Amino acid sequence: MIEAVKVEGLSYSYSDGTKALEGIDLTIYKGEKVVVVGPNGAGKTTFFLHLNGTIKNPAGNITVFGRSISEMRIEERIHEVGVVFQDPDDQLFMPTVFDDVAFGPVNMGLEENEVKKRVIKALLKVGLEGFETKVPHNLSYGQKKRLALAAVLSMEPKVLVLDEPTANLDPKSRADFISLINELNERDGITTIIAMHDVNALPELANRVYVLNRRIVAEGSPRKIFSDWELLRENNLEAPDVFKLFKVLNCFGYSSDDLPLSFDEAIQILTRTIEGKDGHIHLHVHEHTHKELSDVVNSYNHHRNNGKK
Amino acid sequence: MEYPEIDAFASLNSPIHRFDPRAKMLTFTLLIFSFAFVDDLKIALYGFLFSILILLVSRLPMGFALKRIRMVFFFLFPLLLIMPLTVDGEELMNISGISVSTEGLAYASLIIIRALAAVTLAFTMLATTRFDMTMKALYALRVPGMLVQMLMFTYRYIFVIIDEFSRMWESMQCKGFRLKANYHGLSIFGNILGMLIIKSYDRTSRVYQAMVSKGYSGRPRALINFKMSTKDYVLSTCMVLIAVSVHLINWY
Ligand SMILES: Nc1ncnc2c1ncn2[C@@H]1O[C@H](COP(=O)(O)OP(=O)(O)OP(=O)(O)O)[C@@H](O)[C@H]1O
Ligand SMILES: [Mg+2]
Repeated sequence: MIEAVKVEGLSYSYSDGTKALEGIDLTIYKGEKVVVVGPNGAGKTTFFLHLNGTIKNPAGNITVFGRSISEMRIEERIHEVGVVFQDPDDQLFMPTVFDDVAFGPVNMGLEENEVKKRVIKALLKVGLEGFETKVPHNLSYGQKKRLALAAVLSMEPKVLVLDEPTANLDPKSRADFISLINELNERDGITTIIAMHDVNALPELANRVYVLNRRIVAEGSPRKIFSDWELLRENNLEAPDVFKLFKVLNCFGYSSDDLPLSFDEAIQILTRTIEGKDGHIHLHVHEHTHKELSDVVNSYNHHRNNGKK
Repeated sequence: MEYPEIDAFASLNSPIHRFDPRAKMLTFTLLIFSFAFVDDLKIALYGFLFSILILLVSRLPMGFALKRIRMVFFFLFPLLLIMPLTVDGEELMNISGISVSTEGLAYASLIIIRALAAVTLAFTMLATTRFDMTMKALYALRVPGMLVQMLMFTYRYIFVIIDEFSRMWESMQCKGFRLKANYHGLSIFGNILGMLIIKSYDRTSRVYQAMVSKGYSGRPRALINFKMSTKDYVLSTCMVLIAVSVHLINWY
């Protein structure tokens, strides 16, 4: 496997003394979909600022496709990594949609025709074709969010980094955005690294999860991470609703080895299990059920219990 | 909240809209300076009429234009009251012992008419060009990149700051705040302005980060493809001739 991003011993403190990152080591391979989770203030955004060279940091080494990011020229770096930050207003600073999407390619020193081609392609990808002469401040939040992505896609980076792409989007835009990211990953082979709090959407966007809380606390498949409720509790995280529901079903005697992480997966697994059991499954309440139930509920409701104690 | 969008009607179609942005910029600037230095009332009036003619040709909605141009008139109107009383000269009339001078009246009118002519031209120039085109024209005319970028960002973020201000303002009003001209009210108002400055400062650093992550290295680069046609050259020549002739007429 080709190493797309490799981070070794990365530590960072802000000038006011806030320790944001401590001894980060991680490796992300080409074509992977990685999600970074962690509570507010865990350092996710800070980490991403390193990936595009905004924070220049001698403590720690970041290599992208084998080359140190601090040694790359700006033009080279933006060919490799594109970062889409949280607030679209910060990233759309040109007078028109066209100019915003063309900003990166122009800085890469591309020819005018190539720039135009890329702008059209990127706008088409995010579904904003025909918006070229519009003024960014007149767009809706969801459109701005897509435009901010297009402005990075036009540089055709090999690694795409997104900070909270689904925050504040309506359900339809959120679903569209998720499938767009997946399409970029699967069809165009772009390695994606995403920070998000939205655990229900996470399984669709991750082959692998890193839990970051100033340091890397855990790493593994979404299933592995969500099964470890100690880990979730310690880092103020949550498991997807479907996953929790199936844990509860387990207490009622539903037995299946793999627990679904998403709605679609739940349907598949449920169908498979029921078919495997001659067309029906048996749920029941026993003496020990209540005890098991309250254990499960307690383990996942740590957010609610915190306040009461 | 109403945005101060100057280029809201830049997509209309008129000879002024179609005029090459660079040529428009240069010739209009020349005209503005030329009219501003006219010292004959009658010629200044012709200049003003010419600016209005240009405005009419541009087909910009009159309400839109008036709203912006009349501001200048309000600013300068006091001159019309003060100068006739203070400038010495031939007495026009005498109102209970205070003499009103013809020279003062003429001088005040000259100032106001010159200003109106200049502002009408500047307004027409900006309102008939899409803002990004105005910026590109400035680049093409080799105005220092730093200046153009400052203008560009001011224009882009003034809207965001207005939004930010109105959000803060609304949330204060929701909590029962009413602005009164007392110490408390003013100090709160000072706080909100201070907060606005801090927020803007934070935003600048995030915008800069976004620019760096797209390869910005301080050198502005823009795609510019303006092309002067015969029509543009003819129109430019006319404009320059008018700008020069208002000063030549005086000599004959
Ligand atoms: N410019 C700054 N100056 C000082 N401290 C900062 C600065 N930016 C962030 N921090 C601090 O660094 C820590 C990490 O912040 P960061 O924004 O990276 O967290 P995050 O994981 O992105 O959080 P969130 O999920 O809320 O977006 C926080 O404690 C934050 O207060
Ligand atoms: Mg963040």
